[in-house]
Amino acid sequence: MNVVVKNSIRFFIFVMIQSLVFNQIELGFGIHMMVHPLFIMLLPFETGIFTLMTLAFVMGLIIDIFSNTYGLHASSLLLMAYMRPVIFKFYGPREGYDPLKEPSLFDMGSRWFLFVFGYLLLIHHFWYFLVEIFRFDQFLLIIQKTVFSVIISFLLCIVLQTFLIKKSKSK
Amino acid sequence: MRNLIAFFRRFRVFLFFAVLQIFSLSLYIRYLSFPKNQYLTTASVVVGKFLEVENDVTKHFNLSKNNIALQKENVELRKKLPQSLYKIGRTLVKIEDTLYKQQYEYIPASVINSSVSRRNNYFTINAGYKQGIKRDMGVFSDKGVVGIIHNVSEHYSVVKTVLTKDINIDVMIEPIGLFGFLKWDGKNAKKGSITGISNDIRIKKWSKVITKGGSGIFPKGMPVGKVCDTEPIEGEPLWDVVVLFSEDYRSLQQVYVIKNLLIDEQKALEGQIPPDEEDEDLQ
Repeated sequence: MNVVVKNSIRFFIFVMIQSLVFNQIELGFGIHMMVHPLFIMLLPFETGIFTLMTLAFVMGLIIDIFSNTYGLHASSLLLMAYMRPVIFKFYGPREGYDPLKEPSLFDMGSRWFLFVFGYLLLIHHFWYFLVEIFRFDQFLLIIQKTVFSVIISFLLCIVLQTFLIKKSKSK
Repeated sequence: MRNLIAFFRRFRVFLFFAVLQIFSLSLYIRYLSFPKNQYLTTASVVVGKFLEVENDVTKHFNLSKNNIALQKENVELRKKLPQSLYKIGRTLVKIEDTLYKQQYEYIPASVINSSVSRRNNYFTINAGYKQGIKRDMGVFSDKGVVGIIHNVSEHYSVVKTVLTKDINIDVMIEPIGLFGFLKWDGKNAKKGSITGISNDIRIKKWSKVITKGGSGIFPKGMPVGKVCDTEPIEGEPLWDVVVLFSEDYRSLQQVYVIKNLLIDEQKALEGQIPPDEEDEDLQ
């Protein structure tokens, strides 16, 4: 399937899943499940930084409209897209990434995925709760919400990948 | 000039990032204080439609519980019907009531989108200015106060609930009649707090908290919750009064919007106060 078509379908699915399903479920303990960062993570390796940031911004704005947060999701997703090439470079193999592979759990292995996506998700969630609460006397609350939400979101993203993503044929 | 171009070229990624980031953050901060339009919120028609379809599916999960709540309210109202009253005076005269004038009207609506775990929680309801809803009207349910209308479109509106940072509904503690403002600290959706109550007065646990009705948004005496704890604030002669809300906002579905028919009169009269004196007044 064409890369553009595939990712457009994914964009739509992730926006709908996040705004109509996961935004509505509330587990307590300050957990806020966010799975849409997985879309930015799964874009192909050779995607340019400008495309990444534009897509993140647009996706964030759409989810903002659905959840009455007016630019909060856009801001945090944008930061994550900005950090993606930096962290990819840090954990990348010396000869560069194989362009035929996808940055998913199945193509790159669980250790790589745990570190790269874990860091990106941590940055995204921390920025989100920092801007949302924005009070330094409640810093512990920010940390608590970030840690709990990152763990739950990460597990959800692994489950979602097994449904949505197939292993690339060339391995 | 060449240096400038070289500068832009070198930092173009960061500049692009910074511009978008500043745009989204300013959008966020501006919307929190005053919403200018409804296109970027759940009050817009397209998003409202989506959420209504979603709500059509999920509303049945709480159906039996809601039916019982509505039935209870019906019983209360039925008690007040003329059929259920025993007539004492035998001469039947229809009286045009001039002692009482209708001040509040209620518009029913149902919640189609809600959240309780964020720092600022907004509900979307399926009634808009076509049903006569305007900004700054009060919203309540059969158990207690819900919030204030924040943003209105043709068929939908967004409610700023009591679970937000600066809701500031004026409330009073029932038997003693102390006034204060309702706040929420963002941690627990069951508990809020009242500020501005001086700590030389003892407050009994489980005394009722009701609306004061001073700003004309809510009628006087609408339930808010009960006092469940009082803690002294360090360095200030004030109590931090913790309130247990009487409404469970996590499973709220049916609400009413309050239309105050005399609000324009009150606003016009209060508008005549010079601005520096208005600050000292409690709303």
